[in-house]
Amino acid sequence: MFNALRTDELIAGMGTTMRAAAAAAGPADEYARGQLLSAFSVSRLLAAEVRATPGLLAWLQGELDAALAASADPAAALARERVAAAADGTEVGDALVDLLAELRTEGRDQELRERLHAILRELAARELAALAARPERRGQGS
Amino acid sequence: MSAASEVDAAKAAAALELVRAAGAAGARAEVSSLTQLEGGWSRHTYMLTVTDPERPEPLQLIARVRPEDSVLDTDLGQEFAIYEAIEDEPIPSPAVHGYEPAEETPFGGPFFLMDRLPGKAVNVWRQRDRDELTANWEGSRSLAEDFVDRMAAIHLVDPRKLAGAAVARDFRQTVAHWRGIYEEIRLVNDPVVEEAYAWVLDNEPDPVEPRLVHGDYRIGNCLIDEGRLSGVLDWELSSIGDPRFDLGYMSLDYHRGRFVTPGSPLAGAVAEDEWLHARYQAATGQPVDRSVVNVFAALGALMLFSIMGTGLKLYANGESSDIRAAWSRFVFPGLRADLANLMGW
Repeated sequence: MFNALRTDELIAGMGTTMRAAAAAAGPADEYARGQLLSAFSVSRLLAAEVRATPGLLAWLQGELDAALAASADPAAALARERVAAAADGTEVGDALVDLLAELRTEGRDQELRERLHAILRELAARELAALAARPERRGQGS
Repeated sequence: MSAASEVDAAKAAAALELVRAAGAAGARAEVSSLTQLEGGWSRHTYMLTVTDPERPEPLQLIARVRPEDSVLDTDLGQEFAIYEAIEDEPIPSPAVHGYEPAEETPFGGPFFLMDRLPGKAVNVWRQRDRDELTANWEGSRSLAEDFVDRMAAIHLVDPRKLAGAAVARDFRQTVAHWRGIYEEIRLVNDPVVEEAYAWVLDNEPDPVEPRLVHGDYRIGNCLIDEGRLSGVLDWELSSIGDPRFDLGYMSLDYHRGRFVTPGSPLAGAVAEDEWLHARYQAATGQPVDRSVVNVFAALGALMLFSIMGTGLKLYANGESSDIRAAWSRFVFPGLRADLANLMGW
């Protein structure tokens, strides 16, 4: 969800690896085979991620909205607005980093902080489950 | 991509010059094979065979190269010095044969040569390799014993031998080191990582006597030959510091083979945690506190965020074409799950 490389950058990277393999002369060495297998792995994982991301983002925004609405901490209201307006996971991450930094100071809503921790833990578990799903192919079901 | 059957003349000449200067080969020696292995992310690795009419057996060597796009800004010279320093320790490690510090070499960076040890490396993210390790644990436990005993031997090396060969960092310096890299290379903000840095500092363990720390101690960085551990490799993250880092780092779920699906229940995919800690304690005389191990495991996960994040940054900036750097992005959800678990979320 808090991903460093965008989908388009990953697709372009896979293409670069494939072009290098096609342009190579002679049999592939271990390094070159490893590159192709890594590109294949990226393709599977990215497919799973693309399929799961809209649902994960909606779930995350919903959970955070409920947690933030229940808090009287002065930082919660602004964070709630930012999370609701976030277009992707990285924007949610930006809002959470700022909020958690404030909550780490004394006298702030520790119950909210713990609730955010629980949501982030559940998010990681859901992301792992989504990435582990096999790629879908038309006519073959999932 | 190079053909496996062709020997790159420039690389071969550079390797021969080094191995001759080290006195390990004569004037008529030749490189008969030279291939790049899949290798790690911070070092490129080449396997080469040197035939020498003055010697009965060909030399089987490995070239360790620090490439320009290395994901670790670590000193190859220090890594070479560590191999030299531990040569007479009860740690199976290859003899080294010369170090070329120049940045401009046919290998694309500084390199050194070392013996190729017998054995193979396992990959704990492959089910069949985990199954082999589990079978050993359920059988003779020879690998589990060697794995712990070699780690203990590392931690028992007299640090005075290592002056100049390894950087010294205490706990807070280690946290600051990896946090500094994280802040320099991060492409996005990660709330789990930010919380984890605060957590490890809040849970700073009482210090122990500084020792040699491998820094990347896991079964995948060891060689296995006929059921025994035949080599401990990849010392580029070694330092003088808190030896409990190695215990924590190996206990991450990631190093049990968890990527997006669960890995082995065994620590490091090698041994049950309690058994491992008891054997380590017996070998070193140092007590093992599980809560302290967890703090170092979290620090190990944060180190991986920094290292893999560096690869991602290089890849995103077009300074590396290694697709494995992009792939590492998919490791992060598992590391976040590790951190959440360690912090008791």
